[in-house]
Amino acid sequence: MTGEREFPSRTIMDAVQLLQNLLNGISIGSVYAIFALGYTLVFSILGIINFAHGAVFTLGAYLTYSMSVGQFGISGLLAGLQIPYQFSFSLSLLLGAVLSGAAGVLVERLAFRPLRSRGADPLLALVSSLGVALVTVNVIQYLVGSENYSFPADVYGDLPPAFMFHFGGKMVVIRTVQVIIFSVSMLILALLGYLINFTRTGKALRAVAENAATASLLGINVDRFILYTFFLSGFLGGMAGSLVGTSFGIAGPYFGVAYGLKGLAVIVMGGLGSVPGAVVGGLVIGLAEAFVPADYSAYKDAVAFAFLFAVLLVRPQGLLGRAQIQKV
Amino acid sequence: MEEFLQNYGFLLVTLVQQSLLALSLYFPLTAGQLSLAAPGFYSLGGYIAAIMATADYFAPWRDALGWAIFPLEWLIAAIASALLAFLVGIPALRLRGIYLALATIAFVEILRVLCLNLDITGGAVGIFGIPQLFESRWGYIWTFGPLLAATLFFGYRLDRSRVGRAFKAIREDELAAGAMGIDATRYKVLAFVIGAVLAGIVGAMSAPFLNTWNARQGTFDASISYLAYVLIGGGRSLWGPVLGAVLLASLPELLRPLKDARLIINGVLLVIATVYLPQGIVGALHRLKQIALSRGAAARGGDGRHP
Amino acid sequence: MKKTVLMTLLLLCAAATAYAERASAPIPLGIAVAQTSNVALFGQEQIIGAKLAENYFNKNGINGTPIRLVYQDTGGDEAGAINAFQNLISREKVVGIVGPTLSQQAFSADPIANRLKVPVLAPSNTAKGIPQIGEFIGRVSAPVAKVAPNALKQALKLNPKIRNVAVLYAQNDAYSTSETGTFQEAVKNHHLQMVTLQKFMTTDSDFTTQATAVLGANVDLVIVSGLAADGGNLVRQLRQLGYKGLIIGGNGFNTANVFPVCGKYCEGILVAQAYSPEADTPTNKAFVADYRAAYKKDPPQFSAQAFAAVQLFAEGLRRVEAVTRKKITQMELSIVRTELNKALRSGPFSTPLGEISLDKDGEINQKTFYVSRIKMDATGKNGSFVIVK
Repeated sequence: MTGEREFPSRTIMDAVQLLQNLLNGISIGSVYAIFALGYTLVFSILGIINFAHGAVFTLGAYLTYSMSVGQFGISGLLAGLQIPYQFSFSLSLLLGAVLSGAAGVLVERLAFRPLRSRGADPLLALVSSLGVALVTVNVIQYLVGSENYSFPADVYGDLPPAFMFHFGGKMVVIRTVQVIIFSVSMLILALLGYLINFTRTGKALRAVAENAATASLLGINVDRFILYTFFLSGFLGGMAGSLVGTSFGIAGPYFGVAYGLKGLAVIVMGGLGSVPGAVVGGLVIGLAEAFVPADYSAYKDAVAFAFLFAVLLVRPQGLLGRAQIQKV
Repeated sequence: MEEFLQNYGFLLVTLVQQSLLALSLYFPLTAGQLSLAAPGFYSLGGYIAAIMATADYFAPWRDALGWAIFPLEWLIAAIASALLAFLVGIPALRLRGIYLALATIAFVEILRVLCLNLDITGGAVGIFGIPQLFESRWGYIWTFGPLLAATLFFGYRLDRSRVGRAFKAIREDELAAGAMGIDATRYKVLAFVIGAVLAGIVGAMSAPFLNTWNARQGTFDASISYLAYVLIGGGRSLWGPVLGAVLLASLPELLRPLKDARLIINGVLLVIATVYLPQGIVGALHRLKQIALSRGAAARGGDGRHP
Repeated sequence: MKKTVLMTLLLLCAAATAYAERASAPIPLGIAVAQTSNVALFGQEQIIGAKLAENYFNKNGINGTPIRLVYQDTGGDEAGAINAFQNLISREKVVGIVGPTLSQQAFSADPIANRLKVPVLAPSNTAKGIPQIGEFIGRVSAPVAKVAPNALKQALKLNPKIRNVAVLYAQNDAYSTSETGTFQEAVKNHHLQMVTLQKFMTTDSDFTTQATAVLGANVDLVIVSGLAADGGNLVRQLRQLGYKGLIIGGNGFNTANVFPVCGKYCEGILVAQAYSPEADTPTNKAFVADYRAAYKKDPPQFSAQAFAAVQLFAEGLRRVEAVTRKKITQMELSIVRTELNKALRSGPFSTPLGEISLDKDGEINQKTFYVSRIKMDATGKNGSFVIVK
């Protein structure tokens, strides 16, 4: 009765493996989801892909880092007051997100507005936003260089670095920061859902998404709401970047741009016009990647794009999107 | 002259190569299809050439054919690209606009990951030491140059042919073209295949030129570069992509003294060009010419309404 | 009259080209390492080592003629390395090249130098097969097969009860795939059990799957072959998830640039070394002294190897002058390059790495290797590699 089994039974091992893969999927997927939330806002309301989102994501991470760590950061300036790092981090996170929102508005002004007023092809907007992304990322590189930056280990205070669950001798783990990212995505989702469905601003946004010309005729200041959208998208993007930065470190100015490409798969899978779709898309792709067997781990990147291709052929409106009537 | 070629030969050949890749994006565009799939076929062509030039399996072929193996590589790359383009194009070309672009992006990424993993492609490390066709980099002008000339000639004839007119009709209004009896899908796939075959041949020629081939040749970044060439040069005529490629591909070299700032300037130019030059440079020049002509007509008397 | 003018012009052109083909003074030596991209941090250390060598050997020069280092940035990819080599060989007309930074780049760029008969000395390529690329290719960085197994021996000394081993490597990098082969063989030779083999890419940042696979396999030792940014990140996530055993890092970890990535989690990583600042040779003493004076800390392996590479070229040039009894500047460039290549393989040199020589393939013969352990300070920001005795 006291003797422990040397090797756990096969069923427990399989169940544990399954559970670990699930947790990994949520872990990986929540990163995609939090990136996609800001991304899909612009896609949903304006029907255009804002490639500069990856750059704003990166910018947010750098801003939060520089404001919280280092001599001129909050921690540094107020060093005498012995403020715990968590406080200066939270404040920097907020400020960083706000500044990123402002950056989002700037992107709109520079890359999208001139094209919109001309009624230009949305593809031009895509390239234009890519140009802005390149400029932003390279300015960061010029100013700060391409070194790695890591947030201090105690960024989340006294929380343990990972949560561990034990099952019959085996262990299932998930890093705390990933749990935080998941929770924050859910929170943002809930707040956005409330905003879009239960407030007047949300109603106006939905009207603009439906048909900007009609909305303007109804007295909605379309330009102003587009501005709100970009500010919100930038805010979310900057915050997402900072959080993901605490998880993986900031690996150089291009670290956010890579998400931009996979993010496409996420938002298209989730569906045009659907904010929950972004989260669902992110989690689905994350889970699929987590279940790829170790021998084929290099095929992980192809999973998202295989899904994208399949969805485009079979159900272009994505999992949760509305079917698009082909406007003649 | 010798000095100049030694220093700039590589750049000049690269400009021709990039023009060809821009044209491979242009052909589907003449039928109104924005396909970002060129890097996928470029990568495929390059791998075919690299494998045929280095793998043991092909050693007897190399011994038997000598330098003729190079044209054979191009031929096989062209055929493979055409087949793959048919396979991918037929389902994908039912999509429109940005969705088609996304499908082609997905295709390129999937192909890239496949190449990253298969043993035959050298896995993630790639294929090295591809035998050279010419001693110097400048020598390759004798492969890319004629190809560019042939492509421009082909494009010119295509434009004036029935097929070219069908492309134009589809680009202007696909539904109307269908109503007039043009089988839109067939022509769209044809345009896609033409672009793919061109990209594949360029890839096969580029493998010895670049000496080394790996999955990094076929990425999304490359798609965006080619798209920029066409957008900035102008997507409505054959010369647009060539001009765009020559300008943008030489920019990093011209801006070399600026070192770090050059990528910033590259991005800024991209934004300015898309915002202020919607028809590209060629289109803008065309418009200037029209303005000049109409002013000329006005100056010669007449208010434009009466001949 | 026209014909004469034409002929004179032609002759002048011919003469000009012939004249241009002599080695110039100061004697140019190419340094083709990564100054931009994410491997720039390795390149920086190499440039520091090379510069110190330039100053040191220009005290006497090559019997009076100084050498001049010419830098070309290879960036982090193969195309950049090829371009840098081409520029150095054709435009700058160097007598030899030190570089490139990554083995991955070397497999692409070295064949070009070899075909053009220009000697190359790799300061940091450790993958299998580099010197075999050609007769003009050599290296001063000992191959993974010689260096890596020492770390495993040291790990077993620290914990003789090691049984289960996890091996992880970056599959898109030639050096990492080579090193992992050596590590896997060493694991087998010590009769240990490799319970999991995980792959990743140098561009990855999310290592959840790999790290959780390691934790799920009851592992006593983890061996990672990758570059600093990805390897460091992997270690950080592994430790955060609760891994408590030993970690061996490959040559990619052998740089201070891994400290900002894993911070306090870098503590205790074992890294095999081809160099120790405490080695007792006169050249090393001078090198360490110069380095400490300028940078207030001990020189790292990458700098020492770059110094050694420049040293071999400098002393090689001196040997060429001794053997041919001519000044380098009087000799034709192509002859200088060929003679220099021979001189590099002509017997031992006393370098900061100890007494080394190149065999006829260009492979380095080096006798002493070390193992170090990373020690982080209390803030988790600064660390050092402490040689384990």
